[in-house]
Amino acid sequence: MRARPGAACAALLAAALLAGCGGGGDHDEQSTAAANPPAQPLEDLVRLSGNIPRVRDADFARPTAAYRRYVDGELRSMQGEIAALSAAVAAGDMAAAQRAWLAADERYESIGAAYGAFGDLDAAINGGSGGLPGGVRSPDFTGLHRVELALWGHGSTAEAAPFVARLDRDVAALRRAVPTIEIEPLEYVLRGHEVLEGSLDLQLSGRESPWSGAALRALRGNLQGTEVVLGTLRPLIARRSHVVAERSEASLAALGRALRRLEGDGGSLPRWDRTPERARTEIAGLTAAAAEQLAYVPEVIDPRPPPARKSAIGAVAAE
Amino acid sequence: MRARRRELLLGGAAMGAGAALGRIPGLGSGAAVAAGAAAPAEGELAESFAFDGAHQAGILTPRQRRAIFASFDAIAPARAELADGLRTLSERARALCTGYDALLGAPGEGPTPDSGVLGNTVSPDALTVTIGFGAALFDDRYGLAARRPRGLREMPAFPDDDLHAAESHGDVIVQLCANTDETLLHALRDLSRATRGVLGPRWKVEGFLPSPDRESGAGRNLLGFKDGTANPDTGNEATMGELVWTGREEPAWARGGTYQVVRIIRNRVEFWDRVSRGEQELMIGRDKARGAPLGRAAERDDPDYGADPQGRRIPLDAHIRLARPRTEATEGSQILRRGYNYSRGIDEADQLDMGLVFVAFQRDIARQFEAVQKRLAGEPLVDYVVPTGGGYFFLPPGARDSQDWVGSGLFI
Repeated sequence: MRARPGAACAALLAAALLAGCGGGGDHDEQSTAAANPPAQPLEDLVRLSGNIPRVRDADFARPTAAYRRYVDGELRSMQGEIAALSAAVAAGDMAAAQRAWLAADERYESIGAAYGAFGDLDAAINGGSGGLPGGVRSPDFTGLHRVELALWGHGSTAEAAPFVARLDRDVAALRRAVPTIEIEPLEYVLRGHEVLEGSLDLQLSGRESPWSGAALRALRGNLQGTEVVLGTLRPLIARRSHVVAERSEASLAALGRALRRLEGDGGSLPRWDRTPERARTEIAGLTAAAAEQLAYVPEVIDPRPPPARKSAIGAVAAE
Repeated sequence: MRARRRELLLGGAAMGAGAALGRIPGLGSGAAVAAGAAAPAEGELAESFAFDGAHQAGILTPRQRRAIFASFDAIAPARAELADGLRTLSERARALCTGYDALLGAPGEGPTPDSGVLGNTVSPDALTVTIGFGAALFDDRYGLAARRPRGLREMPAFPDDDLHAAESHGDVIVQLCANTDETLLHALRDLSRATRGVLGPRWKVEGFLPSPDRESGAGRNLLGFKDGTANPDTGNEATMGELVWTGREEPAWARGGTYQVVRIIRNRVEFWDRVSRGEQELMIGRDKARGAPLGRAAERDDPDYGADPQGRRIPLDAHIRLARPRTEATEGSQILRRGYNYSRGIDEADQLDMGLVFVAFQRDIARQFEAVQKRLAGEPLVDYVVPTGGGYFFLPPGARDSQDWVGSGLFI
C-alpha cells in the first residue's frame, strides 16, 4: 500500500461525511437486475413511499464545502510534487523528473469534479494540443502535457524547465482561487459520472497522455476524485435509494481492485499502451460499468431536469 | 436470400400458430414466425425469428443483409455474476428479437432505459442474436475448466495469417444479424449496456451482403466472385446432424450446439483489381462473370474434377478445388459458411481495408475447418487475402423456452 496523503484524506473525508448517516436503512428497493429493460427505469431504483423532502440548494453546502477543502489539500500536495519536478529538471535527472510528473498528473486528475469551474486555468495546467492552431507547436500549449512532451517525447529536461516554472505559477494561482470558485450544486452532482466519462474519453483512449502512457495513473486519480464526490453526496443519495448508493460504491470498489492488481512497487502502474489486452478490456469495462451506475445519481438526488450548462462564464482567468 | 425468407414466412403462416414453430424438431429455431402484437411494424420490420428453440437462430436461418460480430471478455468478479450476466444477455436478446414499445422515460427520470435509436417501437426486423463461448472462458477464473466442450481451443495462427490481438479471440461472441444497420446498432448498445461490468467489449466487425435483387445464386465477395455456392443443404436434417450439430461426443450440456469459426480476412483489393481475369479465374476456379466452375455452364454445375485429373481446366491448386475436392474422403470436411463482406478504413499505405468476415459452422473444427485450411495452405490466392483476426467459439444449443437462457447448462 502506498503512503499517499491524498488517498488517506479521501477515505477520512468520506468516513467523516458518512458518520451520522444510518447505513442499514430499509432496503425495500429492487436489488437484482431486471430482465427488461437494459437499464433500469429510475422508479425501480428509488423509494416510492414516504415523504422525502425535495432537495434544497442548502443541502449541498456541506458536500461542496467538504469538496473544496479536498481540492485545496490536493493542490497543496501537487505543489510539492511540482517542486520535486522542478528540482529534478534543474538537475537534469530524467528518471526523477518523470516520477514527479506522474505524481503531479495523477494528483491533478484526482480533482476532476471541479474542472468546469477552473476555466482558463484548467486549460493552462492540463490542456491538450488538439484544439490549438499549430498543435504541439502552439504557444498556448503549456502545462502538464507540454512538460510530458518534453520529458517523454523529446527526452529533454532542459526543454521542460520553462513549462514547469509556468505550471508552478498556474497551480499556485488556482489554489489561491479555490476558496472563491463557484461550485454549482446541480452541476456538482453531474460530476459523479462525468469524471469517469472523461477517463474513457481522454485517458483510456490514450489521447491525453500519449507520450507517457499514464492513463492508468490518471484513472486512479479520477477514481479517487469520484469516490470523494460520491462520499460527500452519499447522504443525499441514500435517503431516496440505498440501491443506487450501494451499486455505485460497489462498482467503484471493483474498479479499484482491478487497478490494484496491476500495481507494482510503490504503487507504479504499467503504461496503458503496454498493458495486456485482457487487462485493458477489464479496466475499460469496469470503468464503463461504474459510469453506468453513477449515471443515476443526479436524478436520485434531485429529480428535476438539470440546469443549463455553464461554460467558462464566471470562471477564473489564467495569468 | 430475401426470396427464401419470404417462402419461410409464408410457410409459417400456412402452418398456423407461428410461435409453436420454433420447437418443431427439424425446423428448430430456423422457422420464421409472424410478429406478435407487441410489434406493430409492417413489412420487413415485422419479420422475426424465434430466439428460443432446440438450436440457436442465426446458424441455419437464411442470412439477413447485415451483421455485427462482437467479441467480449468476461470481467465479472465471480461465477455467479457471470451466470447472471449471461442470463440477462439471453433475456434482452429474446426481447429484442420479439419487439416491444421502447421505454423512453421522461425528463427528471434519469437516463432513458432505451437508447431511442429506433424511435418509440423496437421492431424485430429479422434480428437474430447468436451467442458463443471462446476457449478462454474455460480457464481457471470461473471454475468452468471441467465443462469445456471437447473440441474447443483457441484459434491457432495459420502459416499465412497475420493475426492482431486487438481483433482476435474473446470469452464470449455475440453474432447479431438483421435487415438493417440501425436494428443491429440498437441491439448491440442494448446488450452491452445490460451486461456492463460482466462483459467487456474486445472487438467487433460489421458485415453486409450484396442485395439479393442483384442476381440469382450466391452473392459476390469483394474479389468480385460468387462465394458460397457449394454450401451444404441447410434443409437436410440428416446432413445438418452430420456436419453442423454436436452430438454424443460432447458433454450433455453441449449437445445440439455447434462450433463457429470467425476469420476476418482482409482482401488486397487494389492489387487484386490489377490482376488479369484469366489469372484470377485460375486462382479461384470459377468463371468471374457467370460464377460457373471453369469449363462448366452454370453456377451450380458440378466441377467434375474426375474428368480433369491433371487440372487442365481447373488447376489442382485452385481455391474451390482445394477447399472442396469432392472426393469421398473429403466430403466429411464440409463446413456451413455464413459469412459477410466487410469494409472499414484505410491503412497506413492508403489502401482500402475491406474483405470477408468468413464464418463457418461445423460439428468438429479439427475434422472440418482445419482440414480445409490445411488443404488451402500456400494456395496462390494467399498473396491477395490476409486473415487478421477472429476466433474459435462454441455455440451452445438454444434456450428451451422463455425461462431458459443460452449457456444455462454450463452452470447447472
